[in-house]
Amino acid sequence: MKYVAELKAKIREKLPELDVVIGWKQGFDPVHASPAFMTTPEEIEQLVVNPLCVQNLATYLPGLKGKKVGIVARECDTRSIGELLQESLIEREELTVFSVKCPGAVDLVKLRQQVGDLGRVRSISFDGPRVTVETPDESSSLDLGELLPGKCRVMAYDEPVLADFRFVDPDQDTVCREEADTDLVALEQMDLDERFAYWRGHLDRCIRCYACRNVCPMCVCQDQCIADTRDPHWLSAETDVRQKWMFQLIHAMHLAGRCTECGECERACPMDIPILTIRRKLNREIHELFGYTSGMDVDAVPPLLTFQPEEKSITEREW
Amino acid sequence: MKIGVFVCHCGSNIAGTVDVAGVAQAAKNFPEVAFATDLLYSCSEPGQEAIVQAVQEHDLDGVVVAACTPRMHEPTFRRAVERAGLNRYMFEMANIREHCSWVGKDKDANTRKASDLVLQAVEKLRFDRPLQAKSFDINKRVLVVGGGVAGIQAALDCADGGLEVVLLEKTSTIGGKMAKLDKTFPTVDCSSCILGPKMVDVSMHPNITLYAYAELESVEGYVGNFEVSVKKKATYVDWDKCTGCGLCMEKCPSKKAYDAFNEGIAPTRAINIPFPQAIPKRAVIDPTYCRQFIKGKCGVCAKVCPTEAIDYEMQDSFVQEKVGAVITATGYDLFDYRKYGEYGGGRYPDVITSMQYERLLNASGPTGGHIQRPSDGREPKKVVFIQCVGSRDKSVDRPYCSGFCCMYTAKQTILTKDHIPDSQSYVFYMDIRAPGKMYDEFTRRAMEEYGAQYIRGRVSQVYPYKDSLIVRGVDTLLGSQVEIEADLVVLAVGAEASRGASELAEKLRISYDAYGFYMESHPKLRPVETNTAGVYLAGACQGSKDIPASVGQGSAAAAKVLALFSKDQLESDPQVALVSQARCVGCGKCVQTCPFGAIQLAEDRAGNPKAEVIETVCQGCGLCTVTCPQSAIQLQHFTDNQILAEVNALCQQAMEESFES
Repeated sequence: MKYVAELKAKIREKLPELDVVIGWKQGFDPVHASPAFMTTPEEIEQLVVNPLCVQNLATYLPGLKGKKVGIVARECDTRSIGELLQESLIEREELTVFSVKCPGAVDLVKLRQQVGDLGRVRSISFDGPRVTVETPDESSSLDLGELLPGKCRVMAYDEPVLADFRFVDPDQDTVCREEADTDLVALEQMDLDERFAYWRGHLDRCIRCYACRNVCPMCVCQDQCIADTRDPHWLSAETDVRQKWMFQLIHAMHLAGRCTECGECERACPMDIPILTIRRKLNREIHELFGYTSGMDVDAVPPLLTFQPEEKSITEREW
Repeated sequence: MKIGVFVCHCGSNIAGTVDVAGVAQAAKNFPEVAFATDLLYSCSEPGQEAIVQAVQEHDLDGVVVAACTPRMHEPTFRRAVERAGLNRYMFEMANIREHCSWVGKDKDANTRKASDLVLQAVEKLRFDRPLQAKSFDINKRVLVVGGGVAGIQAALDCADGGLEVVLLEKTSTIGGKMAKLDKTFPTVDCSSCILGPKMVDVSMHPNITLYAYAELESVEGYVGNFEVSVKKKATYVDWDKCTGCGLCMEKCPSKKAYDAFNEGIAPTRAINIPFPQAIPKRAVIDPTYCRQFIKGKCGVCAKVCPTEAIDYEMQDSFVQEKVGAVITATGYDLFDYRKYGEYGGGRYPDVITSMQYERLLNASGPTGGHIQRPSDGREPKKVVFIQCVGSRDKSVDRPYCSGFCCMYTAKQTILTKDHIPDSQSYVFYMDIRAPGKMYDEFTRRAMEEYGAQYIRGRVSQVYPYKDSLIVRGVDTLLGSQVEIEADLVVLAVGAEASRGASELAEKLRISYDAYGFYMESHPKLRPVETNTAGVYLAGACQGSKDIPASVGQGSAAAAKVLALFSKDQLESDPQVALVSQARCVGCGKCVQTCPFGAIQLAEDRAGNPKAEVIETVCQGCGLCTVTCPQSAIQLQHFTDNQILAEVNALCQQAMEESFES
């Protein structure tokens, strides 16, 4: 991205006031980027912004509460920051948001389906909507639109929820788009037994690695997580579908109206379980009940975090 | 831990459809149960004694009683275990009557369910810990909301008992519906003659502070320590200066104002004192009719007022009061007679409500006590009364009997005959409900001595004919249609919940039924208490009532307050939320969700924000405990561990079955 030089200069300028700035850098192979924690000017040089930078860095913010933190964030990432601020899990004064216009994102599962074993990829380059992937055997040119994760297809973000500094290339278009949520519609059309069987099948594959929990920006229970705590003893350690089911559904319920649909849970899941769909379903229920979308307005009060004797759209009685 | 289980027969209430001995036998195998038996009536004195003895003999640490609803006897058994030397919270109740024996007929299934419920209680008890109540000081003042006869009685009784009373009235005078009535049944004595002295007593009593033309804005706090904000609505007249001389009313040029006191049968002036015996006797300007407010010029009242009391710039003001208890006596409102299109109420001027008729009968009413038809002022000779207008009718969502309409209609037929000796009254009725002292005799007198003609049946239509009205209905006793040419039709409108009752209930955190009437704590045994400690009910706000019942309830509510205030301190309920400092991350979600403002953010020694529960304010609703993501807040006696133990006791088996398929 052209704005990266400008972004690095701004981070360099602000670094003396900050304890750390979180961004992305090239990872262990050509197709992975990894989070970068920048504390020195040299580390800033490693910063990259490209469609491989898929991690939602807001996940690190609650753990750094009390420190002055800068964060490089795409538009959708700022939604998670917004929700964290609403819930007082981070402080606005401690935060500097370097908002970048999203260059798009690559779902590595989809990339693997196109080019095979990702370990064989020698290089990957981006030119607008084209992605060029080199392997020892061949060079393929792919459409970035085809590689987008599901979350980039159901909600479009043109502007960040909040930003201290904004970086946009001239003529840069928004990559994500709002299409019909076909996965959710398909699920809703199943009858109860069919749906039960669907989830039973998927959740039975869960290996309880808790990657979905660890990567979730909204999971803040730390070592009090219901999955780990033995007081109360909510879940046993058995590898039984009931325990997995219970964990996944409690996780989803705790995110009702809070989940910012960043899709990190699904991305981190080594078993490719479509768990984001459960969260999207719950969020849609919340939206229908309260007309509320999580994280989009820092000053809004989330409906499940307040008490009102009467809710506008919930009619308990007729007079 | 050693647990004792006592399974109650409740006569045949439980034993009829549950094998209680079998349940007790099964309970012996439940974890940590050291003793189990069945009792004929566990709440009886020998029953309680058996529990106390068993605790002492078997050295029990906790007790489960499987019997009726805890709403009735939980306090009884808590006292019993306390007598036996245990903490009163080391007790659990399994409801095997309402939740089991009364709802099922299959004895085997009931017995299994009763065993499950006992197991659930045992599992919970294993996690119970002794809890200690704390004491707090109380403010011995009482707020009475509503200055009708029930509120007046409650205020006077409390004041006579030595309490300071704050009496709140929405309109500009106390007296309520009773002040509008001409006579009262069954004695036909003058309503204002018997109410008037009580109203004067209120204004003279040194212990009563009266806020008329005022409403309850907000209520904070808890039993013993409520803080209420009273909104004094702008009257545009300085009541400290107003002497109630009425000169302004005489001179006011705006003569078309709606007269709420006279039920709108005649207009009044824009500045108004509702009636001569009003307490306080002070004028109020109605800005929707006052020319000064509509046109910006007039000022006649300001000019004529001898004490310069008129203040067009007046604003609503607020007063804060601290009280320890609240009595709600907000009364009722009348059914909207326009809802029955077939009766023509609101369309034909000579179809009026019973309350409007009352104002026509009343010597202080707009006609000076002469019955005149609203249309042409003519004296009616034939008056038709239609009963149950908005009572006992599901089609208008009023299935209940208002209770007093039969009686006031009988009274009005008597008064009609007294006023116009050559008149004839007809009453269309469904049933005559006259179950009070001297009530049935009274209705018989209306028929036999005063010649009122009672027709058992409903009216299908009222329509105008020449200058009178044709009332067409059915006489179900004769089995024939009847048509009566009437000069005046009086609709006996029923009672419905006072407008704004639900908003007030929410401020006071009391519950109300499907029709908006306030819910008493127990329909038979706690008729003036609510489920919110320190809030009591008097009069028709709890359900339609006549004057004697309302007065009785006013006194009853006052007695409850006097009993409450007979102690200097109250005990707080220890079943409140408690924060685990180690788990709390200080996000403040609980502070936002608490409906009672019982949680605040404080700092721990390291300066980290932590939630803190104000124990006396907490009502133990549990909202915070489900909001807290870390489970850092636990409701004492209903902790996650305790509830989980209950769920596991009941659901393990069911869950296994649903996943086995």
